[in-house]
Amino acid sequence: MLLAFGNFTADPSVNLQLLIGGLALGAIYAVVALGFVLVYKSTDVLNLAHGEFLMLGAYFALTFLISENLNFFLGVFVLLLVMLVFGLLVHYGIMRRMVGQGFFAIVLITLGIATIIRALLLIFYGPTERGRLDLLPQGSFEIGGATVRHVDIIIFAVVAGCVLLFFLFFKYTRLGLHMRAVADDIEAAAAMGIDPDKVYAMTWAAAMVMAGIGGLLFGHVTGAIDRSIEAIGLRAFPAAVVGGLTSLGGSIVGGLVVGVIEQFANGHLGTKWREPVAFSVMFVVLLVRPTGLWGRKDLERV
Amino acid sequence: MNASGLDLTIEGLTVVYGGVTALDDVKINVPSGGFVTVLGANGAGKTTLVRSITGLLYLHKGRVRRGSIELGGESILGKKSPDIVSAGVAQVPEGRKLFPNLTVKENLLCGAASRSDISGIDDSLEQNLDLFPQLRPLLSQTAGLLSGGEQQMVAVGRALMSQPSLLICDELSLGLAPKIVHRLFELLTEINETRGTSILVIEQNASLALQHAADAYVLELGRVLMEGSAAELRGNPMVQELYLGGGGEAHTSYAAIERPSGGKRWGRKRTGGDS
Amino acid sequence: MTATENPPTQQTAQTYRPSTLQRFLPFAIAAVVPFILGSTTGDVNFWWKALITVVVLAVVARLAWKWTPRGELTHREDMRLWRTPSDRSWAALTTFGLLVLPFILASDFTPPMGFPWATWFAVVNLVLIFAMGAAAFNLLVGYSGQISLAHVAFLALGSIVGGIVGVQWSGGNMWLALPAAAVAGAVVGAISGLPALRLKHLYLLLATFGFHFVMMLVWREYLQEYFGFVGIRFKGENSPRIASWLHWLPGIDPDQNGEFVITGQFRWYWVLMPITVLSILFMVNVVRTREGRAFAAVRDRDVSASLLGINVARSKLFAFALSSAIVSMSGVLASFYIGSRGEDSFNVQTVLNYAIIIVVGGFSSIQGAIFGSAFFWFLPEWFKWAREELWFVRDIDFLSDYPSEIDLAIKGFLVVIILMFKPDGLAGMWRDFKNWLGRTLARSNP
Repeated sequence: MLLAFGNFTADPSVNLQLLIGGLALGAIYAVVALGFVLVYKSTDVLNLAHGEFLMLGAYFALTFLISENLNFFLGVFVLLLVMLVFGLLVHYGIMRRMVGQGFFAIVLITLGIATIIRALLLIFYGPTERGRLDLLPQGSFEIGGATVRHVDIIIFAVVAGCVLLFFLFFKYTRLGLHMRAVADDIEAAAAMGIDPDKVYAMTWAAAMVMAGIGGLLFGHVTGAIDRSIEAIGLRAFPAAVVGGLTSLGGSIVGGLVVGVIEQFANGHLGTKWREPVAFSVMFVVLLVRPTGLWGRKDLERV
Repeated sequence: MNASGLDLTIEGLTVVYGGVTALDDVKINVPSGGFVTVLGANGAGKTTLVRSITGLLYLHKGRVRRGSIELGGESILGKKSPDIVSAGVAQVPEGRKLFPNLTVKENLLCGAASRSDISGIDDSLEQNLDLFPQLRPLLSQTAGLLSGGEQQMVAVGRALMSQPSLLICDELSLGLAPKIVHRLFELLTEINETRGTSILVIEQNASLALQHAADAYVLELGRVLMEGSAAELRGNPMVQELYLGGGGEAHTSYAAIERPSGGKRWGRKRTGGDS
Repeated sequence: MTATENPPTQQTAQTYRPSTLQRFLPFAIAAVVPFILGSTTGDVNFWWKALITVVVLAVVARLAWKWTPRGELTHREDMRLWRTPSDRSWAALTTFGLLVLPFILASDFTPPMGFPWATWFAVVNLVLIFAMGAAAFNLLVGYSGQISLAHVAFLALGSIVGGIVGVQWSGGNMWLALPAAAVAGAVVGAISGLPALRLKHLYLLLATFGFHFVMMLVWREYLQEYFGFVGIRFKGENSPRIASWLHWLPGIDPDQNGEFVITGQFRWYWVLMPITVLSILFMVNVVRTREGRAFAAVRDRDVSASLLGINVARSKLFAFALSSAIVSMSGVLASFYIGSRGEDSFNVQTVLNYAIIIVVGGFSSIQGAIFGSAFFWFLPEWFKWAREELWFVRDIDFLSDYPSEIDLAIKGFLVVIILMFKPDGLAGMWRDFKNWLGRTLARSNP
C-alpha cells in the first residue's frame, strides 16, 4: 500500500522516522477512533462531537493535573470521574430524547453538542493556550537513526490496553452482551428486558471516559492545550472508517494505517497532501468496502 | 423451579398513535395457566396489543389513553419493559427479531437479561436445548444466518430463558413452513401443560391457533369483535367464513357482520409505524 | 360521508371565480407601490410612508384573500403554487415586503434606541445569499434524504469557477460566471453523488465529507497556480457590471465613465433578491413535480421506490446535480458580493454554519432555509445591539467579554433544543402560526 506513494528518498532512516512518526500519530488516531467505535457500535450514532469531547478531556486534564496540581493518579481519577458524569449528562440531558429520530437529525444534534462544548470552553478557558501537559516521561531513544519518544510508546500501550479491556468487556460480561444486543435491535432488546436507556447511558459515559484518556494523552503530544485540539476529531475519521466503525481492533489497525499513510504523504508529497490523501484513502475504502477492513457486515433484513 | 402461570387481565384498553386510535376499549383475559389466542387480520391492532402489554409502545410514539393491564393482580401498565419482563412477561416478537450479529447462545442469554440468579441461567439454557435439540450444534453460529424455522426456535427459546409466567407469541407462523409451525404449536402446548405457563398467542393463522388454544378473541379494527372458547369460535360460521376460509353458504355474511363503527379511524394522515 | 356529518366549509359552500384582472391585481399593487414609495425620497415624512405601507399591506392581503378561486377547483387551479386564500395573501405580502425593504433600509431614517439600521442592509444581503445555498442544501439532505456534507465544497467550486470564468477570462463578468458555475456544479455534483448509489447514511456522509477535503486540495493547488496565497480578488476592477447595452433599463444610472458597477448594498440587493427568490421558487416547484415526488419516495425507501418504477440512480444523481448547481451559483454570488475568497472561507466551521441554518430553519421544508439564514445572521446583530443598548444587558461584563463565543453557544443550544423539541424548526413554527391565524380569522370572519 505504501508503495503507491513512490518517490521514496534513498536514505532509509528518513523513512524509518516517518514510519515511527506515523505509528505515533496512528496511536492517537486509534484513541479517537475507539471513541467513535464505542458510540457507533452500541447506539448507531455517529458522534461528530468526539473531537470536542477530547478537547474537554484535555482542558480538564490541564485543570486537575496542572492548575490544581493534584497527585497524578488522583488527578486522572477525578478527570475520568468528571468525564463520566459529563457522559451521563449528554445521554440523560439530550440524546435520550433522540432515540428513534432520523439519522441525520442525530448527526446534527451531535454537531450542536460540539458547538456548545467548543463555545463554553472558549468562554471559560479563553482562546489562547492555557498551559502544557508534561506529566508523562518526556525522553526518547534511537533506533537505526530514528528517534522514538517514550510518550508515543506509552500512548500505544494505553490504547492497546483499552481495546483489550473493551474487547473482553463486550465479549464476556453481561452488560457487554446487552450492549451488543441493543446495538443489533433496540426493540427486541427492550422486549427481552434489557433497558436500552441504561445501556446508552453507559455507552456515552464510556465514550466520555475514553475521550478523557484521549485528551490526557493527546495533550502530551500537541504540547500546547488550545482550541486547535478539536480538529483531531475530524482528522481521525479516516482511521475510524478504514478500521471499520464497528470493530474495536479495527480502530487500532485503521489508526496505524492512516497515521503511517499521512506521515508518508506529509514527508514525501508535502503537508498540504496530508488530509486529502487520508480522506482519499477513506473514500476508496468506503466505495470498495463500506464497512471498513474489519467492520461487521450488517445483515440487512428487508 | 418453574414459575407457575399468572393471569393477565386487560380492561378497557384504548391506545392511540398520535391522533389515530389503534385499540379501542379492549377487554381480554388470560387465566392463570391458560392458553388464549387473539385472532385478527392486518391492522386489527394485534401488534399494538403486544406492545401495550410489554411496555414498548413508547418506541413507536404510542400512548395508552385509558384502561388497565394487570398481571397476577398487579398493574403493569406504565411500567418500563425491563420491569415487565421481571414481572414475568416474555415475548416472541413478530418477525422473530433475533439479534442477527450475535451467536445463537448469546441470543439465548439475552433472554435472561432480567434474571439475577446467574447460576440458574445455565440450567435454563440446558432446558431450552433439550426442548430444541436442533439448536445444540448451532450454538456458536451467527443468528442472522439461520433458517427461518431455526430462528423462530431461537426466538421462542430466548423468550423462555426469562422463565416467564406469561409467554406472548406474536405471529409465530409468519413466513414459516406449516410443518414447523405445527411443531412449534405443539411445543407451546407442551410448555403450557408441563410448566403451567400462561400463553397468549397472537395469530393470523386462525385454524392452527384455534386447534391448540382454549379460549379465543377476535380483534377487528381495534375492537374485540368476538370472544369465547376455541371450540365455540371454531364452530361459528362467521369465523369460518372470515378466518378459516371455509363455509359456502355464509358467503354473503361478511357485510352483515356487525362491525365496530370506525368512523374517522381510517382517516389517517400518517400511519403510526404500525404494521 | 354525508352532508350532515361535515359542516359546510368555504370550499363546498359556493363556487367563486375571480376574473384574471382580480387574480393579478393584488400582486400588481404589491409590486408597484414600493417603487412609488421609494421614489419619493425626502418629500414625504418616514412615518407617513410607514402608514401608507401598513394600509397597502392590509389592502393587498385582503384582496388577495378575497379574490381566490373557491369551490370545485379544476386540476390546473389545484396545482397552482399559491392556491388557498392564505397562501395568496402571504405571497402578496411577501412580494410587497421584498420590494419595499431596500427602500426602507436605504432611507436615512434612524430607529430609536440605536437599532443598527444601516448595518442591517449588509446582513439582509448575506441572508439572501445563504438562504439560496442553504435551501439547495436542504433540498438534498432534507427533501431527498441524501446526506451530504459537501455543500461547502460546492461554494468553493463556485468561487473557483467565478475566479476562472468571471475574473480571469472576462474581468469581472459575474453574469457569465453564474451559468458556468451552474453547469460545473451540476457536473461535479453528479460525480460527487456517485457514492450515493452505493452508500447510505453514515457512509455517504463520510464520503461526501471526504469530497470536501479533496475540493479543498483543488482549491489550494489552484490558488497557488493562479492567484497566489491571498485568495481570489473579486473587488474593484473585478466587480460585476451591467453591460452598456442594458443601460436604458429604468433605475440604471451610469457613472461618469459610462459604467454601471454593482456596488453598495442597495444595488446588490436588486441583484441578489431576484436570483435567490427565483432559485427558491424553482426548487419549490421541482419538489412539486414528478421528479420531486421521486426524491421523497427514494428518501423514504429506495427499494420500494425502484419497485414503483422510479429510476433510483437517476433520481439521486439529479438531486445531487440540482442542489450542487444552485449551491455553486450561490458560491459565485457570495464571492462577488464579499469581494475576496481564500481557503479560510471554506473551513469546517462553514459546513457547520450551513447545518445550523437548516436545522434552525427546519430541514423538512425548503423555505425553512430562509428563516434559518435570517436567524443565523440577525442573531449576532441583535445580540450586539442588546449588549450596547439594552440597559439590563449592557452592564453584564461577561456578555461583552465573549460576544462571538456566546453567539456560538446560543447557536449550539438552539440546534440542540430545536432538534429535541421542535424538529420542524422555525418553518414549522411559522406554519403553526399561519394555521392558528387562519383558524382565528375563519372563526371571527366566517
